[in-house]
Amino acid sequence: MFNSLVASSMVLETIDERLLRCGVSRRSFVKFCSSLMIAAPFGLPITDKRTPEEVAQGLGKVIRPPVIWIAFQDCTGCTETLLRTSHPDLGDLILNIISLEYHETLMAGSGKQAEEALTQAVHNYSGKYVCVVEGSIPTKDKGVYMKLAGRPATEVLADVAGKAAAIVAIGSCASWGGIPSADPAPTGAVGVADLMPEKTIINLPGCPPNPYTLLGVVLQFAESGTLPELDHERRPKFAYDRDIHEHCPRRAHFDAGRFVKQFGDEGHREGWCLYEMGCKGPDTHAGCSTRHFNEMPDVWPIGIGAPCIGCTEKSIAFRVPMFQVIQIHTPANPPTTYPPINAPQGTISPIATGLVGLAAGALAGAGYVASRKFSTVPLDQSVPGSGQPGAPGALDKDHEAGPKASE
Amino acid sequence: MSSVFSRRQALLGIVGLGGAVTAAPLASVAAEEHPAHPVAPPDAVSMLYDNTICTGCKACVVACSEANGLPPDTSRSGGLWQMPEDLNSKTKNIIKLCEEPNGKDFAFVKRQCMHCLDPACVTGCPFGALKKNEWGAVTWESSLCIGCRYCEVACPFDVPKFQWDKWNPKIVKCEFCFDQRLKENQQPACTGVCPTGAVIFGKRVDLLAKAKARIAASPGKYFENRVYGEHEAGGTQVLYLSKVSFQDIGLPKLGSASLGHYATMVTSVIYKWLSAPILAAGILGSVIKRNWNRHEAERPEREKQSGLPDQL
Amino acid sequence: MSTQDTTVRTRDTSGGTLLNHWQRGVPVYREPVVTPTLLFFLALAAIGFALALARLCSPLGPFGGMNDVYAWGIWKTFNVLTLTALGSGPLAVGMAAWVFNRQKLHVVMRTALVSGFLFYSTGLVALGFDVGRPWNFWNVILPWRWNSGSAMLEVSVCMPLYCCVFLFFENLPLILERFYYTGSDATRKALHRMAPFLRRIYPFMITGAYVLPLMHQSSLGGLMLLGGEKVYPLWQTPLLPFLYLLAAGLCGLGFVTFLLLMSALRYSRPLDLGVLGELGNLLSLMCFVFLAVQFGDLVWRGEIRTAFALDKMSLMFLFETALLLIPAVALRSRTMRETPRSLLNLATLACLGGLLYRFIPTTIAFAPAPNAIYFPNVPELLMTIGYIALGIAAFGLAVKYFAILPGEIQDWHHMFRLVRQRRAAARPEGETSWPASLSTP
Repeated sequence: MFNSLVASSMVLETIDERLLRCGVSRRSFVKFCSSLMIAAPFGLPITDKRTPEEVAQGLGKVIRPPVIWIAFQDCTGCTETLLRTSHPDLGDLILNIISLEYHETLMAGSGKQAEEALTQAVHNYSGKYVCVVEGSIPTKDKGVYMKLAGRPATEVLADVAGKAAAIVAIGSCASWGGIPSADPAPTGAVGVADLMPEKTIINLPGCPPNPYTLLGVVLQFAESGTLPELDHERRPKFAYDRDIHEHCPRRAHFDAGRFVKQFGDEGHREGWCLYEMGCKGPDTHAGCSTRHFNEMPDVWPIGIGAPCIGCTEKSIAFRVPMFQVIQIHTPANPPTTYPPINAPQGTISPIATGLVGLAAGALAGAGYVASRKFSTVPLDQSVPGSGQPGAPGALDKDHEAGPKASE
Repeated sequence: MSSVFSRRQALLGIVGLGGAVTAAPLASVAAEEHPAHPVAPPDAVSMLYDNTICTGCKACVVACSEANGLPPDTSRSGGLWQMPEDLNSKTKNIIKLCEEPNGKDFAFVKRQCMHCLDPACVTGCPFGALKKNEWGAVTWESSLCIGCRYCEVACPFDVPKFQWDKWNPKIVKCEFCFDQRLKENQQPACTGVCPTGAVIFGKRVDLLAKAKARIAASPGKYFENRVYGEHEAGGTQVLYLSKVSFQDIGLPKLGSASLGHYATMVTSVIYKWLSAPILAAGILGSVIKRNWNRHEAERPEREKQSGLPDQL
Repeated sequence: MSTQDTTVRTRDTSGGTLLNHWQRGVPVYREPVVTPTLLFFLALAAIGFALALARLCSPLGPFGGMNDVYAWGIWKTFNVLTLTALGSGPLAVGMAAWVFNRQKLHVVMRTALVSGFLFYSTGLVALGFDVGRPWNFWNVILPWRWNSGSAMLEVSVCMPLYCCVFLFFENLPLILERFYYTGSDATRKALHRMAPFLRRIYPFMITGAYVLPLMHQSSLGGLMLLGGEKVYPLWQTPLLPFLYLLAAGLCGLGFVTFLLLMSALRYSRPLDLGVLGELGNLLSLMCFVFLAVQFGDLVWRGEIRTAFALDKMSLMFLFETALLLIPAVALRSRTMRETPRSLLNLATLACLGGLLYRFIPTTIAFAPAPNAIYFPNVPELLMTIGYIALGIAAFGLAVKYFAILPGEIQDWHHMFRLVRQRRAAARPEGETSWPASLSTP
């Protein structure tokens, strides 16, 4: 096994040839392909509208792409996520499907041997390999905060990624800076695209991202040399074009207004919506709601009852507090509520009613009082209020008038 | 002046109208503008809604909001869901649910502007901000609207909605996606998105025939075996087929005469060429002139008696 | 100053002799101009107008209780549709005086004119603050943009024209009269020159001043024709415009009667039961005509049973009818017409009946949808009250500055005497700015 491994690392061979040489049966390969389709991301281009046999046939012709995996300010979580796959398992992936030339965590060698392997691989496959970058790159103070074999990360990146055919920035750290870029960002951590915007880069943000996203990207590149359609943030649309909220298994609870109010309450135990606990699902583009982690259903934050923290989004992850409730920007219709045929319209303000009553009462009262001042006797000369014939006329009052009359 | 209707008096009577003469365009009211049974324009477009097919998915509500650039009405949901309770200043199209008292049967209804053949709102709008165009869609123009809300009072279907919460308020109502889509030869957003074909778009003559064909094919399926909107309020360009009573789904019971006809029956005759006002001015003017002359003739005597100038 | 008895005795139609107290308009001169009542009404008006100005800087929603199905609040339906009926005094009294030659009513024309002008102007102000897009109102002067079938258009053109041109012109003589007596020599000379011209155009202006209200008072009724089936059948009729016009006539007469009686009470002035009796008589006739037309229409439309169904709407209708029927019948009696208290009460009832008739189809009998209700909210009410209060305050001021309320000639002379005394006290040199004798223009 070992000899063939070493031997194969020098020669670019197709997957079929590799499998033949390593004694992997056709049947197991087809099984791998079908599991690729089960566990693969929704809309994976290479499995789209094909049977496992067709996928196997297609993939069989693919030349194993060389992959160089370099890591900077990382936590190795993205590598760990790759380990949690069994369709294919990591061994199959790195040995039979791709040609992993350099990976600090997985390779046997270390020290000078490792350095040697990197230089060799970069030289031999220059312009042909896929460079997977894990972890953010420090830029402050001339990038002293991360060094690989004595060279600053920026220099390594320029060298290794510069000669790659395509760069896959796996994880939020490599995509846009990740945790190290959170306030106060002491190392000036940035993503790959911030330093090499002109290169072909695919960002796979997530903390960690789903391993099948990486798989889909690498295999498509391997098969056709093309990369999946990307959005404006260079994320593959097949995995990042929708937000968690759109496909969340707890969406029915959201639509019906059943929210968890406190961790551990009855709603939480029943699995209700976590929006009011600060779930960032509505603003987070990722596929976690359909593809869970560890190949087990419900193994993802919301599935276990923790609100989504928006780990793929630069504007949310490690910036907006985890339990801060966000505004929903694209409301949709809840399916269980319909307006009635005759909706109620208008309200009556009690103060207004009182005001009208007051005014009406005042007018009625004033009217009554005024009318009482009038004489009830039909007279042909009368002054209101006098009540008797021959009463003093209005003119007799002029003695009291005084100089107050105006013009 | 001995003769009552001398030329001078008649002339003076007319001149006495003064500014009323500037209301000359009122004279262009003709009974032909509001016939008792209006005729649809030849290119009249139409929508046919059949609630036996509608599933209440509300895709038309969302599509309408998007096509018209309307903000979602989330007031009832605290910002979470778009759930308008009725047509309003943010909602031009809505799906409502009618639940029958027996608790089992239900029916949906799609409500929006009916685009009447002789719309009451168009009749009442003082400066013609609401107009019916060559395809029959009733559209609103902001530069002519004074916000008097007469259209809201006039519409028998309570369709136009005023933006009570805006300082520059508009009248919001379905306009058949005229600017956004009809002009580009596309069908309106709601009919375009309906997944089941419950609401379809076409020419009024065609859809009326189609509706009648459906009735003929399944007698007893549709309420009263007729199409609502064929004759209501003179006829509308949105037609309804319903499995339950039209009144149950909120469509008012209306006669077949258009409201515009009813409202202008008398005024279109008496104001034709301003005949009634001119006649009134002439008659009143001559009588008043005669009385005035007599009043003036008696003035010196009154003033002598009182010793003071006469008051007018 | 002459001490002769200038009281004129007139013979009325039944052969009796009436003492004619009302001979000309006399300003109210025994009262101070600024009274607590005036200040109270000005305060109410200030509150109303402050809210109105705030309304202009804000969306319409919070300032009215209006909603999408009751789109008209009380500004249009009450201040304009209803109160301008009370303001139809110039129309009703004017036509009675100038067309039907009831000479006695000339002396109360000024009261009718001023009250009518104030009702119309406050109503138009209310309308101005009610429309949601007032900046487009300039379309009113472009005739090619007029929608000729619209009653709203007719009202928008006719009412401002009437109020600002014809009704204002009718009020001009009483305003100019003041300048004549209190102005300089140059002013008086100018007025002398103007007077013949004003007299020449006067008959034509008042012709217009009667034709225009005939048009727009009926168009106000025409507005509710488009309400169609939303207006309860007891009120919805093709005769709506005609009935609104008749209601305007009877409210105009009723309100002028009411106003004359209340002003006489407030300012301690003598009554003239001949004139008031005449007004009461005409009011009674108008009420009969109105009721006859209304019930005739109900019978012809076949709705007479609905009127007696004794449900909420029917009771409202019967109440409104009673408010008009009682004065109609009672005022046939001469005794009633010449008893001040009865006349006041009956005139008030008739006004209320007419007001109710004009208001009901717009709001109370207007049922746009089930589950919909309307009641004005507090800002809306305060603004309405403010507009009305302004009118009241303005009337209170006007009667003191101008010779509006009818009085006796003796009173007029007495007023002059008092004013001269005051001026003499202020100017010891004895110079007055008034002519010693009054020359006729």
